[in-house]
Amino acid sequence: MLNQLHETCRKLLEDGTVQVVIGYGQSSPDTPAYPIFVTRPEDVQQLVWNNQCFGNLTTYLTRKEVRAMGKPAIVVKGCDEKTLVVLEKESQIDRSQIVVIGMACSAVGNPPLAKCQACEVHMPRFADATIGQVENPASETDGRYADLEAFLQKTPADRMAYWMNELDRCVKCYACRQVCPLCYCETCIVDKNRPQRIDTSPTLKGNYAWHITRAFHLAARCVGCDECTRACPAGIDLRLLNLSVAKAAETDFGFRAGMDPEVEPVVGSYSEQDKEGFIR
Amino acid sequence: MARIGVFTCWCGENIARNVDVEKVAEAIGKLPHVRCSVAYKYMCSDPGQAIMREKIVSEGLTGVVVASCSPHMHLKTFRKAAESEGLNPYVVEMANIREHCSWVHHNKEDATRKAIDLVRMSVAKVLRNHALDPIRVPVTKRALVIGGGVAGIQAALDIADAGHEVVLVERDPSIGGKMAGLSETFPTLDCSQCILTPRMVDVGQHPNIKLHTYSEVEAVDGYLGNFKVTIRKKARYVDMDKCTGCGICWNACPSKKNLSEFDFGMGTRKAIYVPFPQAVPARPVIDANACIKLTKDKCGLCEKKCPAGAINFDDQDELITEEIGAVVVATGYKLYDIGKEQQNDKLAGYGEYGYGKYKDVIDSLQFERIVSASGPTVGEIQRPSDGKEPKSVVFISCVGSRDNAKGVSYCSKICCMYNAKHTMLYKHKVHDGQAHVFYMDIRAGGKNYDEFVRRAIEQDGAQYHRGRVSKITEENGKLIVRGVDTLAGVPVTVEADLVVLAAAMRPADGVEQLAQKLNVGYDEFGFLSESHPKLRPIETNAAGVFVCGACQGPKDIPESVAQASAAAGKVMMMFSRKELTREPEVACVNEQNCAACFACARACPFNAIEQAEIRDRNGNLVKRTARVNPGLCMGCGTCVAICPSKSVDLEGFTEQQIYAQVESLV
Amino acid sequence: MSDNNEFEPKIIAYVCNWCTYLGADLAGTNRLEYPTNVRIIRLPCTGRIDFNLIVKAFEMGADTVLVSGCHPGDCHYTSGNYHARRRWMLFRGLLDTMGIDMERIHFTWISAAEGAKFQKVITEITEKTKQLGPYEAYRKVCKVS
Repeated sequence: MLNQLHETCRKLLEDGTVQVVIGYGQSSPDTPAYPIFVTRPEDVQQLVWNNQCFGNLTTYLTRKEVRAMGKPAIVVKGCDEKTLVVLEKESQIDRSQIVVIGMACSAVGNPPLAKCQACEVHMPRFADATIGQVENPASETDGRYADLEAFLQKTPADRMAYWMNELDRCVKCYACRQVCPLCYCETCIVDKNRPQRIDTSPTLKGNYAWHITRAFHLAARCVGCDECTRACPAGIDLRLLNLSVAKAAETDFGFRAGMDPEVEPVVGSYSEQDKEGFIR
Repeated sequence: MARIGVFTCWCGENIARNVDVEKVAEAIGKLPHVRCSVAYKYMCSDPGQAIMREKIVSEGLTGVVVASCSPHMHLKTFRKAAESEGLNPYVVEMANIREHCSWVHHNKEDATRKAIDLVRMSVAKVLRNHALDPIRVPVTKRALVIGGGVAGIQAALDIADAGHEVVLVERDPSIGGKMAGLSETFPTLDCSQCILTPRMVDVGQHPNIKLHTYSEVEAVDGYLGNFKVTIRKKARYVDMDKCTGCGICWNACPSKKNLSEFDFGMGTRKAIYVPFPQAVPARPVIDANACIKLTKDKCGLCEKKCPAGAINFDDQDELITEEIGAVVVATGYKLYDIGKEQQNDKLAGYGEYGYGKYKDVIDSLQFERIVSASGPTVGEIQRPSDGKEPKSVVFISCVGSRDNAKGVSYCSKICCMYNAKHTMLYKHKVHDGQAHVFYMDIRAGGKNYDEFVRRAIEQDGAQYHRGRVSKITEENGKLIVRGVDTLAGVPVTVEADLVVLAAAMRPADGVEQLAQKLNVGYDEFGFLSESHPKLRPIETNAAGVFVCGACQGPKDIPESVAQASAAAGKVMMMFSRKELTREPEVACVNEQNCAACFACARACPFNAIEQAEIRDRNGNLVKRTARVNPGLCMGCGTCVAICPSKSVDLEGFTEQQIYAQVESLV
Repeated sequence: MSDNNEFEPKIIAYVCNWCTYLGADLAGTNRLEYPTNVRIIRLPCTGRIDFNLIVKAFEMGADTVLVSGCHPGDCHYTSGNYHARRRWMLFRGLLDTMGIDMERIHFTWISAAEGAKFQKVITEITEKTKQLGPYEAYRKVCKVS
C-alpha cells in the first residue's frame, strides 16, 4: 500500500496535477503520525501509512495558508472522507479542485479507537484513487452509540455531577476547535464580544457555555472523527457530547452526517412532519 | 453619550391601579444613561406626546422608552411623534406594562417590581438601538397578471384603467377562463358570455394591456418592484400579424375528431381552431398533435387556402422577458377528475358513480356546455350517449368535496348554488323533465342566494333528497341511481337519463410549479397561501405578489371579481409612489466575517439571501459571502439563529439588544 | 417576590411577536390573572431564538425558560418556527446528556387567539418551578471557581 501511495503522489506532483500533497508523516514507528505537506515529487518518501495515522487532515483544506499552496491532493481514511461530504455541502471546498486519495483502513490505534469498532466506512467511497483493500470490512454495528447509551444510564443528577467534574479541567485551550475540520469560521462565536455570548473564562460557567455551543454548532455536521477528544489535553470525553447530538439527528431525522452527498443538511431545512411530542 | 428618556404612562387607571407608576419612574430614573424619567396620565394623547417631544429637544435625547401598553397598539404613534421632533423613529422602544403587567397582576408590590424589570429591559435594549432609514426600492410600474379568467380580466382592466401597463399571460389560446364556458350564472341567471365578452374585448383592445395568450410564465427573477419575468409564447403556427380571423382554414381542416377542451370533451374541434367564436384574440392556433401536416407531413390545406399567407408550420416557441413591478396570480381552478384513473393515491376517484364508464354520467362543467346556447348541442339538452332528451336528471353534490377518505376535506362552495341553477336551466328547457338533487347540506350564503335555491325547489319543482348516492348502474339504457333520503329515513332509487356530478373545485394544473417560481406558499391542496386568512387575504408572503380568485380557494364569480379589484388596488398602492419603502428591520451580513457556509441562505423562508463574491480591483476573487437582499428580507431572524459564527444580525432585534435585555434581568 | 421565605421563581420567556406576544396581550385584554414571575422578551419569530439565549438565561439566574411561538403552519414568516422546532429537537438531546434539567425548559405553541392558554401555561410552569425549587445546579456551575 505504501509504495502505491508514494507512486500515486509522485505522479500527481510530477504532472503538476496538484501542487501539494497533504498526508501523514512520522518521526519513528509507533509514534502518532503528524500532518505533512509535500510539494516536491522527491519528498513523497516521507509519506507514511499505518495504524498511527490518527489525524483528520481535511481540517487543512479550509486554511488560508494551505489554499494558497495551490491545488491539493489529500490522504484520507474513510472516516475523514465523510468530512469532505459535509464541507462540500457547506460550500467550503470544490470537490473537483481536490484530488482525494482514499486509504483502506481497518482501524487506527492499538487497541483500536472506539470509533473504529463501529466503523462502516473502512473502504473510502468517493476517492479519486483508492489504495488498499480491507478484508471483511466490518458491517455497521449498532455499537455506534454504545458509549453514549451506557452514559445515559446514569441519573440526570449523576450526569450533571460528571460534567461538572470533567469540564472543570477545561482550560479553554481550544485545541478541540483548532483540530476540528468543521470549525472553519473565520471568527468563532466565542471570539466575539459585542455581545459576549459565551463566557471565555476557564471557569465552569465559561466551560459549560463553550462546550454546549460547540457541540450544538456541530449538530448533524460532526462526522465522529473524534479528533477533538484525542486532542484535548485535559482528557475530557467530548465524544459523548457530539454523539448525543448525532444520536438526536439520527433518531429524529434519520440523518447521519457525511454519508450521503445528496441529502440536505438537517440544520437549515425542516419538515412539516418533524416530531414534536415535547411541545405543548 | 447615550441620553435616554423614559415616559411611564398611568393610562388613566388601567396601569396606575395595579402598578405604582411614580415608583417605576423614580426607580428607572436612577439607571445610568437615563436623562429623564417622567410619568403621565395618557402618553398617547396629544399633551402626552407633547411632553415626549419637548423632552427630546430639551434633554437632547438619543433614545426613548415609553412604558405603557403593548407595542402593537402605539409603537407607530410614538415613533411618528419622535420623528416629528427630529429623532430617528427606530430609537423608540416600548415596555408593555399594561397587557403584560397591570392587567394581569393584582398584587401591586409584585406588579410594580415586574414593571420596573420590564422597563429596565427596554432601556437596556434601546441603548443599543441603531438609527435606521427606511429601505428604498425603485418600482417598475408594470403589472403582470397570470391567468385570463374573470379574475385576471378584472384585475388587468382595473390596473390598466388606472393608467399603468399590464402584461396579461394566459395559458389557453383565448382569455375567458371557465366563465366563458358557462351557460348562465347564479343568482341572476345572466348569460355568462354576454356579461363576460365585453370585458374580454376591452382587454383585447385596451392600449395599456399587452396580451400574451397561449403563453406561460417560464421564470421569475428579481424582487418587489423589480421583477424580470421570462414568458414562453408557445408556437401557434399562425402569424398573428397576418391572420385576419376569416375562418377559411378551420373550415377546410380535415382533422375533425379532436375533443374540444373548451367543451370539456362534450364536443369536437379541428386541429386548427379557435376555441369559441368570441375568443380574444379571435385568431386560431394549430394543435401540433392533431395536425396532419405537423405529425405526418401531409395535407397542409389551411396553408394553401389562407388568403393572408398566415400559416407558418415552422413556428417555434418564443421566450420573451418583461420588466415587472408587481404580480397578480389569477390562475383559477379545475374540477377534480372523478374518473377511476387518478394521478395520486390521495384522490381515489369515484368509480362507483360510473364517470368515464357510462357516457351519460358527466360533471358539472360538461353539463354547462350542453346547456349553453353556444355549446356542442346548441343549447338543446341531450344525452351524450344517444342524443335523446333526458326526462329525468340526477345532480349529485359533494363529489370529492368534504371527503377525507377519497377526496378533499374542504367544501367547494359553489356547487350547491350551481346545482340549483342547473335544475332550473334544465326545467326551463325540458318542461316535463324532473330534476333530482342528492345533497348533504345546502350552502347558499350570499345576496339572493338562499332565495335562488328556494326558487329551484318551490317554483321549478326540483326534488331534493338529503343523502348520498352509493352506486350508479346502467340497465336498459337508464342509469339506476341508488341513494338515501335521511330526512325521510328511506332509501331512494331514481331511474335517470342523465347524471351530473358536482366535482370538487381544485386549483389549476401546474400551480405548484408556478408558486415555487414566485416564492409563494401553497397548502396541501395546492391553493395559494395568503399572508393572513382574515386581514390579508390578497397578499402573499412574497412581497409584490398578490393572489385573487379561485386559485386562493374555492369561490364564486362575485367574490373572484371583488378579490381581483382588491389585488388591483394593492398593485395601485404600490405604483402610486415614486419608490417603495420597506421597514428597515432587516438582516445584514458582516461580509468580512462570513464563512460562506450558506446555512442562512438555505433556511431563509423568503429566499432573501444570495451567494455573493467579493472581488478585488483586478477581478480576483477575495472571498465568497452570503448577502441579504434588503428588498426581500422580512426580518424573521432565522438566519441569525442558524449562523454558527453569528456573522449576520437583525436590525431591531440585534444580538446585542437581546443579550442586553436578558442580562439586565440579573 | 414575597416577604415570606417562599421561593419565587425567575422565569424568562422568549416569545414570538406575532403569536405568543399577541396571545399574552389577549390574556391582558381579558384580564386573565397569572403569577408575576415571568419576564417576556419579544422576538420577531421563534426562528430568531438561538439556544445560546437559553443558556444565557440560566446563567443570569433564571429557574425556568419558556420558548413560545406560532403553531406549525401559522408562522408569520412561513417557516421560522419549523426551523426553531428542528433546532430544539437536536438541542434536547444535548441537554439530556449534560444532565441539565429538562423540566426547566418549556416549548409551547401559543397563538394570538390563545390568551387563556398563555395564562394556563404561565401558571403551570410557575407552579412546577416552585416545586422544583431554584435551579441550584446551574447556580453552582456559574459560581466563579
